[in-house]
Amino acid sequence: MSRTEWRAKDPDQFRKELRDWLARTPPGRAPRGKHERIAWQKAWSAQAVEAGVGGPGWPVAYGGMDLPFELQVIWQEEMSRAKAPNVPGTGVFLAGPTVIKHGTPEQRERYLRPMLRGDEIWAQAFSEPGAGSDLASLRTTARRDGDVYIVNGQKVWNSYADVAQIAFTLVRTGSPDSRADGISYLLIDLDTPGITVRPLKDITGAETFCEIFFDDVRVPVANRVGEENEGWSIARTTLGHERAANALNQAAFYERVLGEVVALAEERESLADPGTATALADLQVRSRVMKITAMRTISDIITKGDPGPGSSVSRLYNSAFEQDLNEFALDLLGIEGIVTRDSDLAVQRGRWIYGFLRTRASTIGAGTAEIQRNIVAERVLGLPRDPVTAS
Amino acid sequence: MSATTLDLSLSSELEELRTLLRDFMTRKSPVGAARERAENGAGYDETVWHQMRDQMGLPGLALPERYGGQGFSAFEQQVVLEEMGRVLHASPYYASSVLAATALLASGDERACDAYLPGIAEGSVHATCAVSGPGTTVRVTGGGEAARLVGEARFVVDATTASVLLVVAEGDDGPGLFAVAADAPGLVREPLPTIDATRPMGRLLFEDVPARLVGRAGEGLRISDRVRTAAVAALAGEQLGGAERCLEIAVEYAQTREQFGRAIGSFQAVKHKCADMLLQVEAARSAAVYLARLLSHEDLAQPIGQSVAEGTLVAAIVCGEAYVFVAKQTIQILGGIGYTWEHDAHLYLKRAKAAQLLAGSPLRLRAEFAALTAAAKAGDR
Repeated sequence: MSRTEWRAKDPDQFRKELRDWLARTPPGRAPRGKHERIAWQKAWSAQAVEAGVGGPGWPVAYGGMDLPFELQVIWQEEMSRAKAPNVPGTGVFLAGPTVIKHGTPEQRERYLRPMLRGDEIWAQAFSEPGAGSDLASLRTTARRDGDVYIVNGQKVWNSYADVAQIAFTLVRTGSPDSRADGISYLLIDLDTPGITVRPLKDITGAETFCEIFFDDVRVPVANRVGEENEGWSIARTTLGHERAANALNQAAFYERVLGEVVALAEERESLADPGTATALADLQVRSRVMKITAMRTISDIITKGDPGPGSSVSRLYNSAFEQDLNEFALDLLGIEGIVTRDSDLAVQRGRWIYGFLRTRASTIGAGTAEIQRNIVAERVLGLPRDPVTAS
Repeated sequence: MSATTLDLSLSSELEELRTLLRDFMTRKSPVGAARERAENGAGYDETVWHQMRDQMGLPGLALPERYGGQGFSAFEQQVVLEEMGRVLHASPYYASSVLAATALLASGDERACDAYLPGIAEGSVHATCAVSGPGTTVRVTGGGEAARLVGEARFVVDATTASVLLVVAEGDDGPGLFAVAADAPGLVREPLPTIDATRPMGRLLFEDVPARLVGRAGEGLRISDRVRTAAVAALAGEQLGGAERCLEIAVEYAQTREQFGRAIGSFQAVKHKCADMLLQVEAARSAAVYLARLLSHEDLAQPIGQSVAEGTLVAAIVCGEAYVFVAKQTIQILGGIGYTWEHDAHLYLKRAKAAQLLAGSPLRLRAEFAALTAAAKAGDR
């Protein structure tokens, strides 16, 4: 199966061949432990790239398939169906496009294929304790000294940083008050002396992200992507509608979880109570809307090349849904729902209390719901920007 | 279901139809006209209705070509209803081309279809169909030429202006669909004033009124279900169009109204409210478009299947609530002037609430959805 043949395939043919390959090369079950899971993700990602079935939206030159959007949707569906894992780390969607579009030929050669194969794990290092929603105020500095930058500062909320090899960062190369105009995009090898990575515990008790301290860390200028002080504008580079290709899968995922909540309700004979049945019906209705909106987004991208406003509000809609779903399940269980996983009285190993806690982050991470509403109001509806950021 | 097998996107031809209609409505039937007619109790503008027929063949847009229609489906029809909903347009379209036409097509009664549909498609026959609701109990006695209706139907759209009235009546053979002429003896038609003067409703009082069976006896429930679904889909289009227009009004105001030295739209509370309104509009769009697409594949002669039944409830719930929410928030953003009779906002709010309740009380719809999905599950076992 030569890679360059993928673009030419008709959708049904493509689906069939991909499905056949997955049947011959199944991913297997996800291992339980964190490190075992990452090893599994790495092995799978490398194998996928080698077989020419990795990186659906990436250029072929860097290990990808360069699929048209419609085939990317099918790729997502089949991989999800086969329960294939993602590439470990957060680089593929967030840093890959930046390096692809703005990296030098040397940088593209050096970084892209190992990222896609999972040989190197990437961790995002943008936010700081003092710079979250107001990221442009970041204060980690990179002072130029010949052919290196000397980096000092602190980053936070860095998922995978404790297992990653590369941190993709935004650092201040301009004057202290230069805001977005004085930020550069820098790739930092996490083995470099002066870097301390400390896992952070979140409200569920898990350590899914970290903080990173930079103490006079020497980073080659060659690791800067794009021009000095141009980092802000290239940080949000995306490839076509890569993310949207997964929209249906996300909706399908929520539908499955909802189905599990329904099963729970039936098991406990809770649906005889009209209030419960009605509240569940509300969630089912919203789940339908999410699925249809995903279908509309995909349909519009395929037929018009543009997803329209439905997709900009879908994150808001979906995050509210997953919060309400988890809380509903917890409420269904009543007091029994708060028993933690280490007790034999825990219901489904405490899944719903942890889900309730975990989804507090749904309206915070990757852009708070308030910022998202600002963005929707400003960019989609054309309302004036907040006075502070307008300056 | 793969997204590519269920096309929810509007074609460029459909977008052109929308542009044509919007332009027509702006010139011939702006919301000001709806308002004036509503305030004067004048009903719809016949001249405009005829122009819609002559210039765009609108009355028969979604009727089969064999009856003189253009043969489009519920999917195309929804765009028309959106544009009508935008300006609170009043015309026979909803009652005649949607409710009555659906009832006739669902009945499978060729004689009745031949008798009425060409006139409906041409805009020369104004028909309506009474759907079941509170205070509606109509019984039929006798059969054939001797069929007589007794009872009352309430909340009948265009009851006093339609010339052909269709009603489901309960008889010894079960519920059946009957056609009554507006001037039939024993029939009294009264306006039923509601808060939404842009959609006139009435009461029909039957005292031994001669009626003709349409379709077969006992089919009344199946036909009602079809009419209800078509009604919800049509309302969904109007609700989507009306909600979108309200959002435009709110955003325009937020951009121009200044307080504290700046546009009120630069305050986050207002911005976020607008963002939440857009969320509702897009949810409504999904529910409406999906139902319309489902219906575009449907055979009206058949009973409603599970997905259409569910899609109908989803649209009734989501579109109904979205329009009410957006209309309320529009008044909120407008502040004091939004509360005046003079501003158009209250017209939209009234239409929104009336339309929502026309499809069923939100307090009951979710329970209905729960029962529907539970029944389907039980059936699967």
